[in-house]
Amino acid sequence: MATDFWASSHYKRWIVDRGTLKESRSDDLQYVDDPEYLDFFAIFFANVITKLGKKLNFRQRVIATAIVFFRRFYIKNSYCETDPFIVIAACCYVAGKAEESPVHIKNMVAEARLFFSQQPYGVKYFPSDNSKLAEMEFYLVADLECDLTVFHPYRTLLSICKKESSNDLQTEAGEVGVGVDDGPRYWGSGDGQLELPDDAFQLAWSIVNDTYRSDLCLLYPPHLLAITALYLAVVLHGPTRELLQQQSHSVEATPVHSSPRRSSRQSSSTSLGHAKKPSQDFVAFFADLNISMPLVATIAQEIISLYTLWERYLEDSDLVDSARGTFYGHASAQTQSGGSHSGVSTPVESLDDAQKPHGATPTFLLQVLTRMRENKLSDMAHASSGRPVAVNKMLERTQAAG
Amino acid sequence: MDAVEKANTARQKRWVKDRKVGEGTYAVVYQGREASTSRKVAIKKIKVGQFKDGLDMSAIREVKYLRELHHQNVIELLDVFSSKTNLNLVLEFLDSDLEMIIQDRSLVFLPADIKAWMAMTLRGLEFCHRNFMLHRDLKPNNLLIASDGQLKIADFGLARDFADPGHKMTCQVITRWYRPPELLFGCRYYSSAVDIWSVGCIFAELMLRTPYLPGESDMDQLKTIFRALGTPTEEDWPGHTKLPDYVPVGQFPRTPLRDLFTAASGDTLNLLSRFLVYEPRRRINARDALNHAYFFALPHPSHPSKLPKPAAQTSRPLEELDGNVDMAGAGPGVKAAAPNKLKRKLTSPDGTDLRPLARRLDFTQHAKHS
Ligand SMILES: Nc1ncnc2c1ncn2[C@@H]1O[C@H](COP(=O)(O)OP(=O)(O)OP(=O)(O)O)[C@@H](O)[C@H]1O
Ligand SMILES: [Mg+2]
Repeated sequence: MATDFWASSHYKRWIVDRGTLKESRSDDLQYVDDPEYLDFFAIFFANVITKLGKKLNFRQRVIATAIVFFRRFYIKNSYCETDPFIVIAACCYVAGKAEESPVHIKNMVAEARLFFSQQPYGVKYFPSDNSKLAEMEFYLVADLECDLTVFHPYRTLLSICKKESSNDLQTEAGEVGVGVDDGPRYWGSGDGQLELPDDAFQLAWSIVNDTYRSDLCLLYPPHLLAITALYLAVVLHGPTRELLQQQSHSVEATPVHSSPRRSSRQSSSTSLGHAKKPSQDFVAFFADLNISMPLVATIAQEIISLYTLWERYLEDSDLVDSARGTFYGHASAQTQSGGSHSGVSTPVESLDDAQKPHGATPTFLLQVLTRMRENKLSDMAHASSGRPVAVNKMLERTQAAG
Repeated sequence: MDAVEKANTARQKRWVKDRKVGEGTYAVVYQGREASTSRKVAIKKIKVGQFKDGLDMSAIREVKYLRELHHQNVIELLDVFSSKTNLNLVLEFLDSDLEMIIQDRSLVFLPADIKAWMAMTLRGLEFCHRNFMLHRDLKPNNLLIASDGQLKIADFGLARDFADPGHKMTCQVITRWYRPPELLFGCRYYSSAVDIWSVGCIFAELMLRTPYLPGESDMDQLKTIFRALGTPTEEDWPGHTKLPDYVPVGQFPRTPLRDLFTAASGDTLNLLSRFLVYEPRRRINARDALNHAYFFALPHPSHPSKLPKPAAQTSRPLEELDGNVDMAGAGPGVKAAAPNKLKRKLTSPDGTDLRPLARRLDFTQHAKHS
């Protein structure tokens, strides 16, 4: 649903700060040898969800919603006390329904069981009866507080780049336009449109996909992630970057708008017409957006640190829709041009080959997870049943609640 | 007990269940109150059963949309909490619905009353559409009335968003009598205009005090519509003969609305005719309808507190009535709502027929084009 983002459950209840995230991992941190493994988990589980989602023929949007559900669930729960695989299946199951692409529970169980039993996961214990998944679904929806509407950066991306006219879709006589005007555009800039070459747009799209491999979707509003992805794409895309360098504006001259929370109704009247220039002035385009550019710079750095971490993550089959490859080639260019205007050094700079630590593989991470859960279990004297921990813990909780 | 449990327990303690007031397809509804203020609420307990099939698609839709929508003319979801193995939705308590009021023969409607109900319906609907949300089951039974007379759109079990255009959707939505012709012809790309048709049917029903287009089957529904409004020509509705389920259903002449709605003003009939335009693209939208001359002409809409209300004793029955539902009319992929629970005694004004139940889809069978 495209309600006003600022009035949404997503904004009101599910944008959290770093402190909250840290707090939510406190239990896990007691059982993990290296805190960095938890960041690898974020990549690993997002990849699992993406792959399972593709097996279910989910659209990208459904996959993204499933990942957001997963992240929201783990704000309130710990890896060491739950079974992420049943949680993943439930996230996909609920996301399918919430995004109008329902999968029958029988098929969901069958697909998940088959997929998780394969390498590198080798999960043999995934329950074969529907009731376990249905039970997990209930705990998930309860922990999500029934907030099932998730906003994603994709729509912002499409409308800023005017790709909305992907109307190569067939239409029928009964189809009408929306019948209402487009809703208020909360990122500002009334008529600002970015004219990006298709491959630069594709790059931005892939960067957005990649952000789901971190906690960024819990930290920042989706339209800011979209704009940051566009910003990075403009900087990283070869031909576009050259164009940018020819333009006389310096990034430092970018005016900063006071608040990211103004609606477009106000900003459309104040917006300038830069986007209409024959050769587009990208710097001015971003300046015109009614958003905080230092915040975009911060997010850009966080995306770069994600790629830095991800470089040390080794998974056999890489996902095709990622911008990883492009990113490494241009990481240094990014550091010089994009990272310069906030004065904060980017993590990329500190990553010398010499200090590059060992990487992580799915197999290794699964061993880490198993060890965490075993240690946690042995600490909980009464937890001796063989059932998946997620379900046990949840049952205790609901029984306690009466 | 961890922080998450504590928060849920606190929310649970905030609300008290008093007695059962009804039962729907996927939920049992209780009257309850807020412990601290004694404010009357409805607590809708979603049946999770024995965790057999997962949460009902209607339940998912209802919580999904009600968690986001806040408007005076949309039922308010006050809170959600879980207990044992149930999800509980705390809703504002609404004593009656527009269907009960329409059927209460002891009540007299003034044109100003009808205008007030129409304005409240359209305001709630305009809000939904502005937020790219289709209701897809508008009918008097789903327009609930608060004790202060405010009308609230309820039952979002068939709602969905339409922000991404070009998505194939199921045409098996909206209770038959309120279903627009494009859906009856199998159109799978549609938009807010489908709800507007339903509003037109409700408008007519408020004036007639009986359903305007009561078709007996999907095919008969088209015939009923065309008999009332004339068979559409290619000019009225370009391309409709190319819709997936198009079948010719006979030629009926267009009769002026005036013949049936003898007492209505010119503005009233003009607005009614704009709701019931065949071509969905030319059907009026909710916002324009609110700006229609009808709402600015005299009489002014009645104040909600002055609207006709059912007498206290004719208010909702407290318990369910058991009865068997005739499932014969259900089309392919459609199943009747609650096979052995009749939600409410629904008799037609002449006291004979039972009205058809709202039909629910088995969406698991429609996964590809929901
Ligand atoms: N907010 C409310 N205030 C008071 N009573 C309510 C409220 N909501 C529902 N009820 C009562 O509970 C009954 C069941 O409501 P529910 O919405 O679950 O199902 P329904 O809409 O009647 O049927 P279906 O699920 O088939 O659409 C209603 O018929 C009504 O009598
Ligand atoms: Mg209902």
